[in-house]
Amino acid sequence: MNENENNFESLRQLLARKRREIPPPGYFDKFSGQVIARIRSAGHDSASKQSLNEAPWLLKLLRMFEAKPAFAVAFASALCLLLFFGTIFAEQPESAPQPLLQASAQTAVPFVASLSPADMTPPANQTGIIASTNPVFDLQPVASLFGDQNPLAQQVSFTVPGN
Amino acid sequence: MTMIMAEPVERTEPESSAPTEETELVRRARHGDLQAYDDLVKRYQERIYATIYHMTSNHEDANDLAQDSFIKAFQALKSFKGGSSFYTWLYRIAVNKTINFLKQRKNRTHMSLNDIDFNAEHDPDLMALISDNTPRRAAGLTELQKKLNEALLKLSEPHRLVVVLHDVQGQSHEEIAEVMGCNIGTVRSRLFYARQQMQSYLSDYLK
Repeated sequence: MNENENNFESLRQLLARKRREIPPPGYFDKFSGQVIARIRSAGHDSASKQSLNEAPWLLKLLRMFEAKPAFAVAFASALCLLLFFGTIFAEQPESAPQPLLQASAQTAVPFVASLSPADMTPPANQTGIIASTNPVFDLQPVASLFGDQNPLAQQVSFTVPGN
Repeated sequence: MTMIMAEPVERTEPESSAPTEETELVRRARHGDLQAYDDLVKRYQERIYATIYHMTSNHEDANDLAQDSFIKAFQALKSFKGGSSFYTWLYRIAVNKTINFLKQRKNRTHMSLNDIDFNAEHDPDLMALISDNTPRRAAGLTELQKKLNEALLKLSEPHRLVVVLHDVQGQSHEEIAEVMGCNIGTVRSRLFYARQQMQSYLSDYLK
């Protein structure tokens, strides 16, 4: 083997000279920074891809935008309009609350009228706690404890067994 | 990019000088600490780059492949079991990547040997290596380096790798066997065969 080594001595020396072939000064100062920057960017890319995979509808939407830019313009215009009207409505003063319960009471009247008082009275032989299922037919404002607010009170018919 | 010739720098063996520190850096890098990985890259960038460069004879390719190797190593850090040193594991990644690249580039004949240093013609050490019978001796040194790179590129990838790791990088047979995943006997026989091939390619130029 030593003879072989000697035979190749010139070649080895020549090959060893290749160690001196190095890139210009400063190349390795930037190298690690470039590697780390690419790792960071690959991380961001994979996060974006993951979020797109989790929301395929978003991917379809984006592809549609890429294919037809008119869709992108229409979508952006719709968003702007939505924002515009949303801002306008948000700035308007709140309107007075509608007496929804009264309205519902009025609509309930025909139903109540169709019932006889006997239907509303619980049977005498019935035992146990019975809560009335009488529909609302009379709503009266009660004195407010909180200024102008005027909640509507509902009269409840409640029968305690044994009374 | 023009490569320059420089005096060889004595390499320290990072894995033997501070194995604990390296283990700690690897552990931190596995948990996503990029600063720790930056330190690891700085430790090995020159050796990884040099190996790839001597395999490809092209700076741009070597730059891309070296960066890709470090990035792939970072992404695969979780699979690093610690059976070998981080350096050997990293080297395997770089070598496999380079060999795959060279297989794809098989038909490419263009060589970016813009790295020839014309001042080398005044280097007495190199002058002594050149045969007196070298044709056109005046232009011999530049041509010799060119021929040397051509001879290297004519070798198969495993043979070229053995020559680069042993004769250029100065690695031992044992280290090469570990990197290449073969036994020492195979490394020795490949080295012998590769040198014979190169000797025959360069017979007109060497004493």
